[in-house]
Amino acid sequence: MIEYLIIQLDDTSTSYCHYENPKRKDNLIGLDTLKSGILFAMKENLMIQFVYPDYELPSEYKEAIESIDHSKIISSLCEDESLRDEADVIVYHDWTGLSFGKFEAGKSYVLRTSKADLFERYLFVKDVLSKVTRLNIVITDIESFKEEDFERYKQILETLSGCLEKLYADGQSPQLNILTDRMMLSTMNNCGAGETNITLAPNGKFYVCPAFYLYDESNSIGSLADGLDIKNKQLYKLDHAPICSHCDAYQCKRCVWVNQKTTLEVNTPSHEQCVVAHLERNASRELLQNIRKHGSFLPEQEEIKQIDYLDPFDKREMW
Amino acid sequence: MADLVKRQTDIWQSGRAKNITFIVTKDCQLACKYCYLVGKNETERMTWDVAKKAIDYILSNEYLFKEESVVWDFIGGEPFLEIDLIDKICDYLKIQMFEKRHHWFDSYRFSFSTNGINYNSEKVQSFIKKNHTHLSIGITIDGTKKKHDLNRIWKGEGPERGSYENVVKNIPLWLEQFPNSGTKVTISSADIPYISESVLHLFDLGIHEVNINCVFENVWKEGDDKLFEDQLMSLADSIIDKGLYEDYFCSFFIESLGKPMDRKLRNENWCGAGMMLSIDSAGNFYPCTRFAQYSLREKKAWIIGNVNDGIDQNKLRPFLTLNRCTQSKEECIDCEVAEGCAWCQGENYDAAETNTIYQRATAICKMHKARVRANNYYWNKLYRKLELEGLREEFESNKKVSNPVIC
Repeated sequence: MIEYLIIQLDDTSTSYCHYENPKRKDNLIGLDTLKSGILFAMKENLMIQFVYPDYELPSEYKEAIESIDHSKIISSLCEDESLRDEADVIVYHDWTGLSFGKFEAGKSYVLRTSKADLFERYLFVKDVLSKVTRLNIVITDIESFKEEDFERYKQILETLSGCLEKLYADGQSPQLNILTDRMMLSTMNNCGAGETNITLAPNGKFYVCPAFYLYDESNSIGSLADGLDIKNKQLYKLDHAPICSHCDAYQCKRCVWVNQKTTLEVNTPSHEQCVVAHLERNASRELLQNIRKHGSFLPEQEEIKQIDYLDPFDKREMW
Repeated sequence: MADLVKRQTDIWQSGRAKNITFIVTKDCQLACKYCYLVGKNETERMTWDVAKKAIDYILSNEYLFKEESVVWDFIGGEPFLEIDLIDKICDYLKIQMFEKRHHWFDSYRFSFSTNGINYNSEKVQSFIKKNHTHLSIGITIDGTKKKHDLNRIWKGEGPERGSYENVVKNIPLWLEQFPNSGTKVTISSADIPYISESVLHLFDLGIHEVNINCVFENVWKEGDDKLFEDQLMSLADSIIDKGLYEDYFCSFFIESLGKPMDRKLRNENWCGAGMMLSIDSAGNFYPCTRFAQYSLREKKAWIIGNVNDGIDQNKLRPFLTLNRCTQSKEECIDCEVAEGCAWCQGENYDAAETNTIYQRATAICKMHKARVRANNYYWNKLYRKLELEGLREEFESNKKVSNPVIC
């Protein structure tokens, strides 16, 4: 069931996920389209997430946005100073910005990073973790992982896990998506594009997520004028994803756009996606066990089982 | 020796062999009306360089191809138009499999589906003599002259010209060289009135196995299912009344057909796309020939790699995890006559509303149901006859296990 409407306010609105925004030219959503989108969300009972460009919006846009309950996603480079206080999610696209960032309790921060940058600079994360309530690390080029990179990523997760264990033992409880989410989940918690959320683009059309709009505008799933029309919508659901429905790496974003890019099917993750998610899952298992050595922690959560594979695809004969 | 032949036959038929298809040309002498190859042309012919690169990649990456055996398949258009290239490919394959001590050496076949027109040419015959023990050749003949010439016509301008006479003259030679061969017949809407007489005609020609199926495309008209059922019942009467069931096989009549299928226990995919590999003249790899551009009406080719970069294993994952229930509607999953209802992954992709292989095309539904009714009639009538003759037990113990070709 669709619960969220993401409104891409401009073609250049910040990416907050795996996709790179290729658009460089401003193209602000029409005010009437914005108002119609808000009305659509009200009538369909959808929570809106506005995704902002880096420039300041005209006042009539701000007024329209404030007419409804919503959340705001902005880039750390956003020129509108007032938005920094109001934003719910602030996205960093580089490590330098992150190292100088000012963090506020209650906000979520996203760090979009390449694999190479993460491998080189991951120690910066240790400092940030003690200052934030939640940090999401989004690796933007998971498809580039090679076998030797998996081992390196495993080591990095171990290091960050040690840091988190210490913070938790000291009474802090910051969330780092790649290590703490799985500890708290007992069912899949994926991105939900096409299933629990859809995106309204500046052209007045709906898309599975902003990436589907930014990379091919013809990929729409309906419009404000004609209504929503998601073809093969079952393919966005877990029970129609043969690999994912046999998986317990519940924290995996299961990005349907990356799936389509790498395997040509929205419901099928790549080998690299599965292995990365399982390395995170296994590191979460260790972290949960280690934190529990310091005292009771998430008592309602079961232990995460030990498994002997990193890609459920390799176990398909057992399904 | 007999045991060895049986073992090899079992391997070829059980799916333990890898099927690797060279699309050596997209040209054909014919322009069959039901042909799914919508993009045939005279220009896309495989070069030796592309073929050699493909072979070198496949044989050098043995760990990716663990199947016990291999079927090197040659397809067109009409493959025998490129007999010189094919001969060179086969020689190179044999040498390379031997030199690399590849596990496929001595466990391989060369397979052809041909229109049969130049079957008796000197070059084709010379190739057959050289490779006879490792060859499977199927000649497509659709039945009577009327039925065959309805669809299988010569390419080119001017009045339609059927190809029956050009093919049927080569059938005796083919059956002499490959006595156990079967033929494959394709049924479209216009062919329905000729089904019964055509299958009987093929039996008369000495072809003991007729693999026959309706096209998967959405070509069916109102009333076709009833007409189809009547034709199959007429065919059933002839086969039973004349005792042809003892020596001949028509894939329309299969005992297991038309039963319900359990969601969990019978959730396997029907089609083998993805477990096969197809290579075209551009050097691109496909999960099956049906995913090459010349086979697709509406969609872009589904390329899974090429001879230079190899196979992108990620692009095979959807095929290797696909099952019956994730691609079928509820009415298909719970269908009471689901057993034997076939689908073609390529046609599913081509007909789907989005770019997916996970939407099963159901254009064939009413034809399958008609087939099931006629099939039930066939087995009920046959077993009653055998009961009355006291031959049922003997028949059941001698029953051949068939593995019909469906695409």
